[in-house]
Amino acid sequence: MRSIRARLSLLALALVGCSSELPAPIPTAHPGSVTPRRGGSITSASFGNIRTLDPANVGDGLVAQVLEGLFAGLVDYDLDGTIKPDLADHWTTSADGKDLRFVLREGVPFHDGEEVTADDVLRSVERSLHPSSPNPYSSYFASLRGYEDYVSKKTEHLAGVSVEGRYVVTFHLESPDAAFLPLLAMQPLRPVCKSAGTRYVDTWHPCGAGPYKLLPGGWDRGRQITLTRHEGYFRPGLPYLDEVRLVFQVNFNAQRFKFVAGDLDILRDFLAPDLLKFQADPRWKGHGEYEIDKQIGGISMNTEMPPFDNIEIRRAVSSAINRDQVRLIRAANMRAADRPVPPGVEGYDPTFQGQTYDYAAALEHMKRAGFPYDPVTRTGGWPHVIPYLAYSQSLDEYLSQIVQQMLAKIGIRIEIRIVNYGALIAMRGRRHTVPLGAGFWTQDYPEAGSFLEPLFTSRAINEGDSNNWSFYKNPRVDDLVDHAKHELDLDRRKKLYSEAQALICDEAPWAFTHYYRFYAQWQPYVHDYKPHPMWTSDLTRTWVDRAAGPVAARAIFTGDAMAKLFGDGK
Amino acid sequence: MSFLPRNRSATIGVAIVAALVLFAILGPLLTSHDPYQSDFEHGLAPTLLPVGPNGRFWLGADRLFRDELSRLAVGARISLFIGLTATLIATAIGTLVGVVAGWFEGRLVDTVLMRAVDVGLAFPFLLLVMALGAALDRTTPVTILLTLGLTGWLGTARIVRAKTMQLRNLDFVTASRALGQTTPRIIVRHVLPNIAGPLLIVATVSVAQMILAESVLSYLGGGITPPTPTWGHMLFEGQDYITTSPWIALAPGLAIMASVLGFNLLGEGLRDALDPRKT
Repeated sequence: MRSIRARLSLLALALVGCSSELPAPIPTAHPGSVTPRRGGSITSASFGNIRTLDPANVGDGLVAQVLEGLFAGLVDYDLDGTIKPDLADHWTTSADGKDLRFVLREGVPFHDGEEVTADDVLRSVERSLHPSSPNPYSSYFASLRGYEDYVSKKTEHLAGVSVEGRYVVTFHLESPDAAFLPLLAMQPLRPVCKSAGTRYVDTWHPCGAGPYKLLPGGWDRGRQITLTRHEGYFRPGLPYLDEVRLVFQVNFNAQRFKFVAGDLDILRDFLAPDLLKFQADPRWKGHGEYEIDKQIGGISMNTEMPPFDNIEIRRAVSSAINRDQVRLIRAANMRAADRPVPPGVEGYDPTFQGQTYDYAAALEHMKRAGFPYDPVTRTGGWPHVIPYLAYSQSLDEYLSQIVQQMLAKIGIRIEIRIVNYGALIAMRGRRHTVPLGAGFWTQDYPEAGSFLEPLFTSRAINEGDSNNWSFYKNPRVDDLVDHAKHELDLDRRKKLYSEAQALICDEAPWAFTHYYRFYAQWQPYVHDYKPHPMWTSDLTRTWVDRAAGPVAARAIFTGDAMAKLFGDGK
Repeated sequence: MSFLPRNRSATIGVAIVAALVLFAILGPLLTSHDPYQSDFEHGLAPTLLPVGPNGRFWLGADRLFRDELSRLAVGARISLFIGLTATLIATAIGTLVGVVAGWFEGRLVDTVLMRAVDVGLAFPFLLLVMALGAALDRTTPVTILLTLGLTGWLGTARIVRAKTMQLRNLDFVTASRALGQTTPRIIVRHVLPNIAGPLLIVATVSVAQMILAESVLSYLGGGITPPTPTWGHMLFEGQDYITTSPWIALAPGLAIMASVLGFNLLGEGLRDALDPRKT
């Protein structure tokens, strides 16, 4: 009896104690070795899932890192965020900025062994932009000449792409577009094998020219995907890994335990406290890195609905939010935000002062709005309760509670309404429906326009499906964003974006609260892993040097805890 | 309460329920913290995690740096209010349906009512409650207790029907009828008092079920909207912090367990006390 009681006590201790203490990482097999080793595999996991593997249908965020392994583009983002030639050997831009001429590398094979040619580029672009393709990014390429005619089926071919010989392809734009090259570096227009045909079909087996290929049976839908090295990849000797595996729909807790047990090599989905622990542990510290901030979060105020049609009320909200406190909800991932464009994104201006917390100013704005609030007697303020829409069991559910506390201090009472994610997206895009709610946006490409155009220009407003959730309209902002889009000079473009941001911050259709950044942690035997600014990871140059043998038991239960728990067999 | 000294389970049950009621009433007075207000100054440890139990926060702080104790106490009020009121509603509806069906056994009204009960019982209770919770536009304590009360009467109706069928054929009921008493009068004067015992037992256990159902609903995100503290949602909020700040989930978890245990033990004690074979 005593023995059972002792074992139960130990089990309880093991469950609470061992799990709260991080085990040591699994060391590299050959410490000090910097020469990449060929072979091995990397496994990571996600709570999410992917539905398609076709560049013409990039439907969810998680798929980008898989597509990056399968499909090479004419150009791509480097690890430092600059655009570099990829399948293209080089490119030139015409003096008027309207023509981009790409010269392809010769002898680059697709996964099926066929050579990538200029015709394949044209076919892939037309396939992806054809109205029969479910390409959610299609309209981003509207600056291509003849785009409207092509998507409305007036023409059979896209006039904006022409082929000269076997290796030269030119993109013709209606007007200069600073975003076109970043858009081309995205995945929707990447060349696909001839087996893809000229029109999208959802039964096609993915085939591109990326460093990894998908073998038949390599994608167990909803469970995991395994990519295998493309031996014909055009960069000699790369990639180093034999296989890359991504396991789907694994909850955060399970990922954490699988990671420390050595079943996962890279961890990115963290519970908030776990991430703080990994970062505080000196044994793990050198094996993790932040990705760039790709998300802006805040409170979206509907400028067409009272009381947020009153600019002073919006300014009051913006001044009442203590962003340094808000970020503490998830301190390891969130940074205080004062503007719509995150740091690390082209168009971020470090000299520019955005929205700031100033309680006295917030009260003053309430007064100017005609709704003065006395914090001593707690009287005054906006007389009605305002519904605040957030989505269920998310970061926004917690953010909304902090916001509720902060706004109460200036006489604005909000009532939190929790809905599911689909309902939130549907409702807030509808005009005159949601006065106040969670706002968040993730970049499509690392450029200020990727935030400003969809969120704050009047072009992004429509009756039922607006991305501009605050329904904010300012012709000057429209002008500035439009000019910046067509301005090819980087400095001038940055200046235009800064001016637009200054107006947005002052008129406060959003109270910006935080930038969200992910953190990647890897085992020490994973070498040359660096988070990618666009695709989460680029495993082309990553290699592993892991000792053989199981490590799970060692990693989870330190010392002789297992023996103590279950006896030593004697 | 004369049964208490002879029944250990019931004694423990009464003690737990009494403690729960006292905590719900006096709990918020034990602490000066506002259960809805984050304390970024004292509720946050240097590790940027919520502080653990200490002199200022007796049960530690939650993930938004609010006082866990005061939230637990408000949660107790909500759980008890919902548990008791929903049980009251469910018992009233269940009794009405059960008595009518039992009295008119074999007739159309009995068939219709009992088939409706069968259909209702075919749905798992929690699934039914969750579906209704999800369908509601706004969830408040009142909508939750109505949801629970309006779906939780089915079992009660079955039991009451069976007891009524037994009673209606007993001599004293036949005598009342022979003396010319009306059916409603017989039901009120003779049937209801005689089913009160079993009804009390069922209702006591039902309180535990209602508290648990509310907690499950809140845990799954279909319950009362934040920042109102409910034990189920507090449990949900604490699960991510179980390895670093276990008190956040432990406190509401233990509270749910204790209250369910308390009401179940009380129900068991009542059953034993009212069992004629044991008296």
